[in-house]
Amino acid sequence: MSRLRGQTEAIFASLCFGIAPIFAKKGLMSGLNPFHGATIANATALVIMILFVLLSGRGREFGSIKRYGLFLAIVSGICNSIALVSFYWAMSIGKVALVVPITCIYPLFTLVAAYFFIKKSEVIDILTVIGTFLIVIGVILTI
Amino acid sequence: MNLSILLSILCAFAWGIQSIFLKMAMRDIHLYMAILITLIINFLTLAFLIGIGLGKGFPEFYYISGSVYLYFMLAGFLNYFLGRALYYSSFRFISVTQSTSISAAYPIISVVFAITALGEKLAPHQFIGIGLTLSGVYLLMMKGRR
Repeated sequence: MSRLRGQTEAIFASLCFGIAPIFAKKGLMSGLNPFHGATIANATALVIMILFVLLSGRGREFGSIKRYGLFLAIVSGICNSIALVSFYWAMSIGKVALVVPITCIYPLFTLVAAYFFIKKSEVIDILTVIGTFLIVIGVILTI
Repeated sequence: MNLSILLSILCAFAWGIQSIFLKMAMRDIHLYMAILITLIINFLTLAFLIGIGLGKGFPEFYYISGSVYLYFMLAGFLNYFLGRALYYSSFRFISVTQSTSISAAYPIISVVFAITALGEKLAPHQFIGIGLTLSGVYLLMMKGRR
């Protein structure tokens, strides 16, 4: 049951990731700098998330948060920011037809990193490897 | 190798490993807090870049129309809030690799939208791409079923 929930969440996440660029593209047609657009999008999510954390009563946990967990979440946020900035930078100086397919190989990096860093909690079998490669190749061919 | 290719690879690398760090962080902190921290870091980075003079700086926000704000707010809600929350939440139930690969199939959604809403026609290689992507998603969904 929990596996099904995880898969359903991943599929709905994919739906959200797929629909969001349609709105972003409409916004960018106004000639707005992509970083300004990304800031509006990020600030919106941040405000909603702050409200969400406060209303769920999790805000009190902020003071007692474990340092190692906080450090890892910050590193994740920094990686996220590097991805965001390098993507828009690459788009501004390179060809979209080249930049977008290259950035779509990120599940391969996840696969390799998961193998090295969280081997114990990740089951990486032949199905995972084949499935990941099929998706990456398929997405590159589709875009 | 030119700079745009290097930056694209850096983007894929950074986006690929961020989920690993987040999964590790979620052993110690709650999902909501983890998402909140990543959003704060993202926001600070973007604010810093605009602050040092990227584009027209902060004054540009005054001249953005209401409809453009709305488009980006919708994009932010779907991508950075809902999408990320679902994506990171799925780490608790399935492997990061499985979740990342399934959610990486999102360009298919854009293609389906282009066909249905914009009436665009697909090239043969795009049909093959959709077939391969769906096969990959199916394989990952079947993983661990037996």
